[in-house]
Amino acid sequence: MDDYLVSVLANIGMFSFIALSAYLLLLTGEISFGQQAFFAIGAYASGIATALWGLPFALALLIGAAAGGIAAGLVGLLTLRTRGLYFAMATLAFAELVRLGLQQWVYVRKIEGEPVGPNGVDGFRGIRYVFENNIAPAEFLLIIAGLLVFVLAAFAVAERGRLGSMLRLVGADPLLAESQGIDVKAVKVAAAAAAGAVAALGGCLFAHLNTFVEPRNFDIMLGVHSLAYGLIGGLGTAFGPILGVLIDVGLLESVRVFQGYRMIVFGGLVALLLVFMPRGILDETRLRWLAARLRRAPQHHAQA
Amino acid sequence: MIAFIQSLIDGITIGSAYALLALGFALIFGVLRRLNLAYGSSILIGAFAGAAVFAQLKSGGWAVAVATIVAAVAAGVYVERLCFWAVRRGAAIASMVSSFAVWMQLDELLALLFPGRTLAFPALVERSVFELGPFQLRTEYVVMFALAVALMAALEWMIRATRFGLAVRAVTEHPEAARAMGVPVARIAFWAFLLASAVGGAAGYLMASAEEQVTLHSGMALTFTGLIAMMIGGIGSLRGAVLGGLLLGVVETLAKAHLGAWHEFPVFGLLFLVLVLRPGGLLAQDFAARDAAALRRV
Repeated sequence: MDDYLVSVLANIGMFSFIALSAYLLLLTGEISFGQQAFFAIGAYASGIATALWGLPFALALLIGAAAGGIAAGLVGLLTLRTRGLYFAMATLAFAELVRLGLQQWVYVRKIEGEPVGPNGVDGFRGIRYVFENNIAPAEFLLIIAGLLVFVLAAFAVAERGRLGSMLRLVGADPLLAESQGIDVKAVKVAAAAAAGAVAALGGCLFAHLNTFVEPRNFDIMLGVHSLAYGLIGGLGTAFGPILGVLIDVGLLESVRVFQGYRMIVFGGLVALLLVFMPRGILDETRLRWLAARLRRAPQHHAQA
Repeated sequence: MIAFIQSLIDGITIGSAYALLALGFALIFGVLRRLNLAYGSSILIGAFAGAAVFAQLKSGGWAVAVATIVAAVAAGVYVERLCFWAVRRGAAIASMVSSFAVWMQLDELLALLFPGRTLAFPALVERSVFELGPFQLRTEYVVMFALAVALMAALEWMIRATRFGLAVRAVTEHPEAARAMGVPVARIAFWAFLLASAVGGAAGYLMASAEEQVTLHSGMALTFTGLIAMMIGGIGSLRGAVLGGLLLGVVETLAKAHLGAWHEFPVFGLLFLVLVLRPGGLLAQDFAARDAAALRRV
């Protein structure tokens, strides 16, 4: 595979994590403008783990995801009483506080004569684990794909079972959910923490692929984009947000014909798409239709 | 103490423009229960149109103000038709994401049309400073404040005393009841959206003429300044929007004067605290909770 294709695929993989994280919160009925905060926390925490503490990458992933999950759980706990737009703005405020905090935070150490670590506005340089351990881009892509499959499998298991119905019920009608004996608060905090951990995983991968991150990477734009991916791809399945990322990062950013006009085309297309498909391409109705088609198709074969 | 009061005065003058932005947001959210993320971009379209007219005529005056507001309203019509009117009722988040997509679209359009990205904008009055007792006032900001207050007073009159205002209040409070009383909800929403775009255009004009320039980066700042001011005040109320705008201006100015590199923290810290401690904003009203719930229906 050529390097350009690998880097495009890696980008699709990484942004899928934050898109999935926003999607998980949408399932519980909350809009978050702030998932980029946990993406950032994952990036910085895992970067510190490998570059400054010399820990292996697998452990760094765990640390990053845990840091993102804990932070998101705390925010979820604090914002339990806030709803809808208020919740969206509270998460946005938190994300901006994180970004501003990272702009001020300096934790630099000399590693082999080179200054390494978070250095305020100048960002965090020298996350060279992938480079030092001779992991080829294609190999790293496999790591990304593997983790994404793992997260998707978790989503698939959750969505098919009781947990998925519980999440959607909390999203659709918290009062009804409460009356069914569901602990709405616990579900919400748990969903927020899980979403934070998923976003943080994406951040870990982002930091290690780019070797350099800066607070600017984690601004509001990233948050609103990740929310939009789910809406474009569809809210019926976890593949929806990934389809959204595929369309944006894969199709438009990478096809160079659109250079300079990309957002004029894409913005108009998305707006039109939402007129006809307000719950995205893969919404519940189309999913059921697809599933029915897929079930029927083999039988046709048998008859023919 | 004098420095503090000076910051307070500066904050209130700049906050008056924020209050206008927040009012536009509150009007749109009130009648539609939806968030218009393209608000800042449509204002920016207006400001760039004003700057283009200025570059052609080489003089400021009415033409620039009219061009700014008309272009902002035209962009507003485009946003309203595509992202709000055309999107199915009840799909509030689809509207929000759609307006986000249009924001990206308008920004790129401006970047293509104006590769320089920064244009000169005519000042309303010549830059000068006059003294009032121990305080120094910048003339251009005082003029901006006076015009913003006049606009707010006109808006207040319109909402309180005209039939249109009554309809807007009715739709804001209870769309179904308003419909049952014969209020043409969709038409009122459209005109309120236009009014909000005009108010935004006026705010954009005042801010650009105080800065004497417009830049492409300000779209996001305009949107989120207005949104934050509205959220601090509480989305049930136009007065809350004004209060939120003024408060935001004061906090920003005080922070800039005293906190150095940390000056951006208090705004978001305040927003987060207000939302966590008082989840409906400062002037929360009963129906604010229901409004917020409207956006929960994905």
